[in-house]
Amino acid sequence: MFHLTVAYIFIYVCLGLIALGILLLFQMKISHNRELRNREMYAKKHHDYFVYVQANLQDNVELRLPPGKLKKLEKRVVQDKFIEWIEQFKGDYRHKLIELCREAGFVEEDLKALRSIRYGRRLEAAYRLGGMRAREAVPMLQNILQKRKYSSLSIVLARSIAKAADNSEDLLQMLRTLLSHGKPIHNLAADIMLETGLDSSAILLKLLNDSDSALVKVGLVAMWGQAVPEVMPVLGRLVGAEEKDVRAEAVKLYLTTNPALKDDTIAQLMSDRSWEVRAEAARALGQLHAAGSIPLLTDALRDSSWKVRYNSAESLAQLGEAGFEALCQAALTGAGIQREAALHRIELVMEKEREHSAIEQMVAYNKKRLLYDRYFGVKQPAKRVGGVAAVGGDYSA
Amino acid sequence: MYYGMIAVYYVMIVNILYFTIMALSYRNIGTIYRRSRYSNYNTLSGSELVPPVSLLVPAFNEELTISENVNCLLTLNYPTYEVIVINDGSSDNTVDVLIKEFRLKKMTNPEFRGTIDTQEVRGVYHNPDYPSLFVIDKENGGKADSLNAGINLSHYPLISSIDADSLLEKDALIRMARMYMENPEEMVAIGGDVRIANGCLIENGAVQKVSLPRKIWPMFQSIEYMKAFLGGRIGWSQMNGLIIVSGAFGLFRKDYVIAVGGYRGGYPGEDMNIIIKLHRYMLSHKIPYKVAFCPEAVCWTQAPDTYKIISNQRKRWGRGNLKNMIENRGMLFNPKYKVMGLITMPYNVLFETLNPYFRITGLLALVGYTLLDMTHWRILLTFFLLNFLSGYLLSVGAIILEEIAFRRYKKLSDLWKMLLFSALKFFGYHQLGVLWRVQGHIQYLQNNNSWGTMTRQSWSEESKTA
Repeated sequence: MFHLTVAYIFIYVCLGLIALGILLLFQMKISHNRELRNREMYAKKHHDYFVYVQANLQDNVELRLPPGKLKKLEKRVVQDKFIEWIEQFKGDYRHKLIELCREAGFVEEDLKALRSIRYGRRLEAAYRLGGMRAREAVPMLQNILQKRKYSSLSIVLARSIAKAADNSEDLLQMLRTLLSHGKPIHNLAADIMLETGLDSSAILLKLLNDSDSALVKVGLVAMWGQAVPEVMPVLGRLVGAEEKDVRAEAVKLYLTTNPALKDDTIAQLMSDRSWEVRAEAARALGQLHAAGSIPLLTDALRDSSWKVRYNSAESLAQLGEAGFEALCQAALTGAGIQREAALHRIELVMEKEREHSAIEQMVAYNKKRLLYDRYFGVKQPAKRVGGVAAVGGDYSA
Repeated sequence: MYYGMIAVYYVMIVNILYFTIMALSYRNIGTIYRRSRYSNYNTLSGSELVPPVSLLVPAFNEELTISENVNCLLTLNYPTYEVIVINDGSSDNTVDVLIKEFRLKKMTNPEFRGTIDTQEVRGVYHNPDYPSLFVIDKENGGKADSLNAGINLSHYPLISSIDADSLLEKDALIRMARMYMENPEEMVAIGGDVRIANGCLIENGAVQKVSLPRKIWPMFQSIEYMKAFLGGRIGWSQMNGLIIVSGAFGLFRKDYVIAVGGYRGGYPGEDMNIIIKLHRYMLSHKIPYKVAFCPEAVCWTQAPDTYKIISNQRKRWGRGNLKNMIENRGMLFNPKYKVMGLITMPYNVLFETLNPYFRITGLLALVGYTLLDMTHWRILLTFFLLNFLSGYLLSVGAIILEEIAFRRYKKLSDLWKMLLFSALKFFGYHQLGVLWRVQGHIQYLQNNNSWGTMTRQSWSEESKTA
């Protein structure tokens, strides 16, 4: 009978929890739906005010606050709209909206919420304070970021700091805290850092000169797609850095600027330990039209990294007839992965150039065609659909 | 009578375990809600700093839905990615539909970087106007084989497997990538949340309006998925004991998938198999890692809506599960495999694989005793109530999780419907689930290795009828 009693207790507990759960569900659903409806209503109510603000952003007039005494949710609707615009606009418009948030008391209210004992509330406030670019919140945000264990929510805090910080020291401090957990989150950290409204070239220079290699890496990845002439000397130094990742990133960036390279530098880069460095060097050689490097590139068709082989073949194809001939030779006499890489590129070249119509391109194509025919005969080489090289093949890229 | 009581205890213990897993989901739900609420995906989806991804889409007889799905995949909010559709020797016009829709041409010499063995590839199709789309046409070899062929052609360090009958939400991939970027070294696999699209309004390859399915089979599955994904996987992911990343939508580190030899061909359950292999590899090599679940990354899938198709699917799952458990029995109770060996695997064997047998024999014993002596009817009733109430409580728990963090179903009537079907599930559907699993096990013993029929209807048709 004892066993049955245990089972009964279990049943009663389940029943009780089910009843509670269902009540909770309806309460949540109804209140969520009510909130949605009210939000819509308030958005409609303040529609004219929003139009007024938008229309007067460019004028030199002081913007009025929303009319009447606002309810809590009403305030939130207005604030959310302002934050949305702050994200979209830059310069004076943004500045005016930030000031408006301050005057309306939104900043002050969220600063107060930042002291709440509930973490959820603090985080919500932190998110909005970042949106409102509230620099006065930064010390408290840094404090919370330092105290909490690293999680997805640290990223929310870090983004808010990046948005709100008005000096580079705060930004660097935030990055240091974020990276202090030893996770290789350089890409994410760079993305967060780029949220800043401050001049990024000065910050990049600071990052690249930092003694902490994690910060240097953040600087390097953040520079992708940006031309920052001020940092070129530092980049030149980092190309010789000891740490593999830093060196690879620096070389990649350095070579995108198409610098003039000495023969021994080329040889050194092409025999670097890191495949990323070799791949970047191989890629750059084609663009630099460094015909003297054809033997190096032909050798690199045998590299263990797919990316190096691919880039070498691509560069050879860019180096005129001599390069193309080297490719043909490798395709015909080489074996395994070297032949694969060369053959693939030759096919691409022949396919692409056939489509060209301009006379000089026709001439270039015909020259290559002649070379091609000399190596492979007039007939097309057997198609290699689906065949996969017997050896090699890496997945580093 | 003793066996009957053991069955009663078994049900209680199983459910206490389920509740524990769900408690872990509850512990984490606040963080999940906040991280998706307070993340702005606009900046990230335009950033060059986000890692590029190869989407692998195996397709077998998908001529009705494939165009719309590929169109959907080509317009995700994600900076750099490619879509590789792998036609697995379809007997319909899957490839022709794609060639026509995207004006594809056969590549003369496509380069395969990978070297995993696959069935013969007949050709690779491409059109420079759609630079990020590739279509591999290959001999039939199964889903795992197709994924392996996709891996061989893929150009990027992360791969994502996506079922051809699934629609990704536009932000789904960037949400997953955010999770990856937060811990890129340890994250080896991330699973997405799979939801049932039947009943939703689908236009231009995207779910425009969310509604619950109108037919009963998909409706039951809707509840079932919610319970499994929100109630179960969030919790398992918390303790790094996730045993499966759904084949419908998952993100993987390509280097590790290759290191474990790619997907295992020739048998269903390849999605569970790859995750077990990853756990095994990382733990054997003592590399810190994480297999995570990202519930805010949502993929909508077409659920089977006829008895025949759903029973085939479930038998296949049952077979795959049993095969995986037998293949990896060495991990059971092996402390070397930590959470996997000591908790996840034993749990799976005792409470998932063997679950039908305990329940059926327990029920039979109790019915037998009651027939012999009618005074035992109380115990029989208790057994029923235990099963029903604890299962129902889990469903209610999962719906609360949905309401806290996701709120995809807005109407109050949806809530009624979910609560009603969560209860109805225990009168028929639940028992069928047990039966299908046993049938799957029988198929395994008979060496029946077919995938079974899986027919699709086009999305527009589905929108109208479901």
